[in-house]
Amino acid sequence: MINELLLQFGQWMEAQQYSQMLVAGYYSYSWLEATHVLSLMLCIGSLFIIDFRMLGLVMPNVPATTIAARLHKPMIIGFVIMFFTGVLLVYAKPVETIQSLWFRIKMLLLVLAFINAWVFNTRMQAADGSWDMDPVAPKPLRVGAIISLVLWCGVVTMGRYIPYDWVDCANTDNPTILWAAGCVEQLRAL
Amino acid sequence: MLNSLLSRYTRTLSLVLVLLLVIVLELFEVRTSIYGNALPFFEWMRNSFWLGVLGTTYGSVYATVEAVHLLSMAVIGGTVLAADLRLLGVIFKDIPSETLTRGTHKCFCISLTVAIATGIFCAAGVADKVYYMEVFWIKMLVLISGSCFVFLFKQPLLNSRPHDEINPWALRLLAVTSLLIWFTVAATGRWIGFS
Repeated sequence: MINELLLQFGQWMEAQQYSQMLVAGYYSYSWLEATHVLSLMLCIGSLFIIDFRMLGLVMPNVPATTIAARLHKPMIIGFVIMFFTGVLLVYAKPVETIQSLWFRIKMLLLVLAFINAWVFNTRMQAADGSWDMDPVAPKPLRVGAIISLVLWCGVVTMGRYIPYDWVDCANTDNPTILWAAGCVEQLRAL
Repeated sequence: MLNSLLSRYTRTLSLVLVLLLVIVLELFEVRTSIYGNALPFFEWMRNSFWLGVLGTTYGSVYATVEAVHLLSMAVIGGTVLAADLRLLGVIFKDIPSETLTRGTHKCFCISLTVAIATGIFCAAGVADKVYYMEVFWIKMLVLISGSCFVFLFKQPLLNSRPHDEINPWALRLLAVTSLLIWFTVAATGRWIGFS
């Protein structure tokens, strides 16, 4: 049911004039993709420095919460750019993206990364701050940092897989993959 | 007097020489004449099992290495932004810039090594294409200039004395140059994918 709705939504977007313009423009799609990837450096670069500090891998002599607080703004700016360019990339090729298994895994990892970030922030604010100058953060925060690193590595890897067609609807007849990717028509034809 | 001036600015002069060399290579089209000599190396990369063949035979390996390349570029971005924005006085104003530049340099070096290693693998998979791409050669020139800039000029200068003894405009210029260089490396890398 949800796959049918998503497909209809994708088809509706694909019929939009602006969606077609984004793909048809000689440079528009490339610029969008380039901006999306370059904003990685701002968002994930800042995030990884925070996570590395929690693990004691960079600047162990600088208070951990100071690094987290100072890099928060560049990280959010990078994320906002990444989010909007990402939405436009989906809008440009909606059906293809919505029916991509990698895109779906990426979205799932993104949700998990957000939950982890929320838990991480809550734990950091709840901590009494006596660890701030320690070379490594307390265990719960270290675990949160490792989970964050793993999830964001997964997000980037899945994003990189999206253009590849190994498990596109037309290239597989595995029912589980077809269901997970939302290949409604191919599933009906089985 | 000239001698003492030259010995004081050895690294600056080395960098200027490298940049001049790059400009000369470009202006007099020396680079294009080097192309022919580099072709056998690119063909070897493309046909080497552990580089080109592995990447083109197993698409998932190639895509995963590409992802590692992107992630290492992201870490480079993070370290460069943290250190250079501090030099510009935009963020981390309450932390000495010496602490930040030293604290992020090791991470930068590791990420750059990973980015170069994975970049060689990625380039090998499409060596027969990138060899003919202008944007690829521009990226290589900027990457070499950037590495020379960081290791021969920026870091030695920043480590040589307390930053408050260095002209603030020199620090700002260093930061802007560094930001521009690594942004260009990343942007030209992305553009290779579109060419």
